[in-house]
Amino acid sequence: MTATSAPRRAAAPPATGGGPAPARPLPWLLPVLFFIGLFYLWPIIDALRLAFTDASLLDREANFSLDAIGAMLGSAALGTVLRNTAVFTLGSVFGQLLLGLAIALLVVRGERNNLRGMLVLRTLVLAAWVIPGIANGVIWQMLFSEAPFGAINSTLRLVGIPPVAWLSNPDNAMMSAIIATVWQGTAYSMILLYAALRSIDDTLYEAAAVDAATPWERLWFITLPELRGALLVNAILIVIMTLNTFDVIISLTGGGPGRATEVLALYAYNTVFYNFDLAGGSVLSILLMAISLTLAAIVAMFLPRSGRP
Amino acid sequence: MNRPLIVSALALAIGGAPALAQEDMVTRDRVGPADAENALTFRLTAYDLYSSDEATATAFEELFIDFIEDNPGWRIDTQLQTGNLNQEQARMIEQAQAGRGPDCAMVDSSQLATYKAAGVLSPMNEYFTEDEVADFFPYVRDGITDDAGNILAVWWFTDLRVLYRNTEVVPEAPQTWEELKTAALETVDEGYEGVLFNGGRTEGTAFDWLANFWAQGGQLVNEAGEPVFYEGENRELFLEAVRYYEDLVESGAAPARVTSITTYDDMLAAAAAGTTALFVGGNWMYAQIQSTLPEEEAAKWEASELPGPTADQRATGTGGWTIAALTDDPEKVRMCAAIAKLYLGPGNAFQALLPTQASLYEEYDTYAGPEFEVFSAALENGQARPGVAIYPEISNQIQILLGEVMSGAAEPEEALDAAAEAVEAAYARQ
Repeated sequence: MTATSAPRRAAAPPATGGGPAPARPLPWLLPVLFFIGLFYLWPIIDALRLAFTDASLLDREANFSLDAIGAMLGSAALGTVLRNTAVFTLGSVFGQLLLGLAIALLVVRGERNNLRGMLVLRTLVLAAWVIPGIANGVIWQMLFSEAPFGAINSTLRLVGIPPVAWLSNPDNAMMSAIIATVWQGTAYSMILLYAALRSIDDTLYEAAAVDAATPWERLWFITLPELRGALLVNAILIVIMTLNTFDVIISLTGGGPGRATEVLALYAYNTVFYNFDLAGGSVLSILLMAISLTLAAIVAMFLPRSGRP
Repeated sequence: MNRPLIVSALALAIGGAPALAQEDMVTRDRVGPADAENALTFRLTAYDLYSSDEATATAFEELFIDFIEDNPGWRIDTQLQTGNLNQEQARMIEQAQAGRGPDCAMVDSSQLATYKAAGVLSPMNEYFTEDEVADFFPYVRDGITDDAGNILAVWWFTDLRVLYRNTEVVPEAPQTWEELKTAALETVDEGYEGVLFNGGRTEGTAFDWLANFWAQGGQLVNEAGEPVFYEGENRELFLEAVRYYEDLVESGAAPARVTSITTYDDMLAAAAAGTTALFVGGNWMYAQIQSTLPEEEAAKWEASELPGPTADQRATGTGGWTIAALTDDPEKVRMCAAIAKLYLGPGNAFQALLPTQASLYEEYDTYAGPEFEVFSAALENGQARPGVAIYPEISNQIQILLGEVMSGAAEPEEALDAAAEAVEAAYARQ
């Protein structure tokens, strides 16, 4: 495309003389805008519209109303749900970032030293990522089972450690949900950071070696600053994905015991499918989106700008 | 092509044709000839025609093929429901209201009231005689009819909750809450887990537990359908039943892990592994125990009525599935009613499910076993979930409440107040 268009511009220079032809991006962007509008913007606009109605799954008629907004934001359960969401998101995001970085560093280090098995390691980590969230929840439910024959507790007993109430204790249940999410999401984080690590200029490490820098100093003064952009982009994406997670939780704990693991996405789901409250569910969805956008914007503020070190 | 090959091909074609034709009559999304003149869409669960159990699937294939032969010119386009009950049923209501729903569908009995309230069901009156309607158990008849007496669905099987016990460990069936606690603690002393029941975030938790509330005479909603379980005398009865479960866990008669049990399969697994000698389960689990455990072990398990606060105060939750017509086309309503009758009689008999018409227990030999005497006696105290659209949220709040109390996160009174507030807010918005 570029090869054929360049001579044409040269043959017919613009009237203003010199320089490239004025860009006309709109025709190129229209298909993308159309599909994004259809599949992303329209559902958001519709959810926004429904949030200002009294729409219910039981009644097709919907009238303008602010009741749903008042009822949802004034709900006694919302505080607990938001706290659960914050703990779940923070735990999952830090877990995925740290583990993803650790595995990516391990793989890059292994490849630099021509260690065998690095491809297998990457593939193994990726295998968790391709498992659907519901299946992930079911797998971890079996592992965390507190029955005498539960997988992890049986192993603990074998080595003389008392069994853990993974899912029946409210505090442990949240930790279990975070573990299951981190296990699945680490691969995504690892792949992003692996690509970023591979792009770091080797001469920086060679210079550090000349200066007799320790591995810790190399990580702190070269790797992490060079990864800053990738880490922040990764964090934004993981925050958004984690906030929207409810499939792992619904199959692992169902939000219980009690409300101990009920996060905002699951609360919105329950509002629609238990209460048939389409308007209320829409309010919660908009709230979820607002939180995602706010957090993404905050993280984005720390992204390195072009021209800045 | 040489001659022997042609002969072989012809022989194969002639010999295999009937088998292939039969197979072609039932596919993953259709029953009957693909080019049939009339089509009925039927949304069903995955437990019969498409059961993972080969014998069940084969039996239903034969039933449906006979049915199609009796109704020439028809094809049934089958749609499988997902296992996510609430989501599936809510989605189907929305589709029906938008005119995109199936013509005929299986509707969970606990959701039937919501469908009735949404006005999406077509009456099937003319396909049932007065005697057939009178033959339904009273609570079933009440559930499937509207105020005008129209039959809006066929409740084709019912189920109930019972207490299963390993008679080698617990020879006598506990009759009261106290007896169950004592028996469970004795099994704990012998190295078992104690009594198991659903206690996680699932409909089974609320439904199994509600028997303890109902046994005392508690009511979830009043005659107008308004939630009242947290008011007046109901409040005390409700708290009594919550404290009963709390005490089972606190005393060690039930393990703390019950708050993470969300399927009856967990109890079956524990029975098969020999880690429990007592659990609360559905009547259908009797057959599962017989087929899962070795014959000698299975013979040790018996079912009995759920214990009550006293031996005279008993109740058990009765559920089951219905089949309803969501189309206005009279011919399709007729076909839907006929399919419902297929499930009501021979379909039930094959699966040993509990029919909702008294005469069917006499008609089929399946129901001659001693376990059906226990089930039919327990059905005397059967109680269906209230036919109101607020029930799913009441159930949701009961699940939350029980989980919080049994895990020690909240006191019964505090948890009930929170549940009452949530249910009232949801009811006000319906």
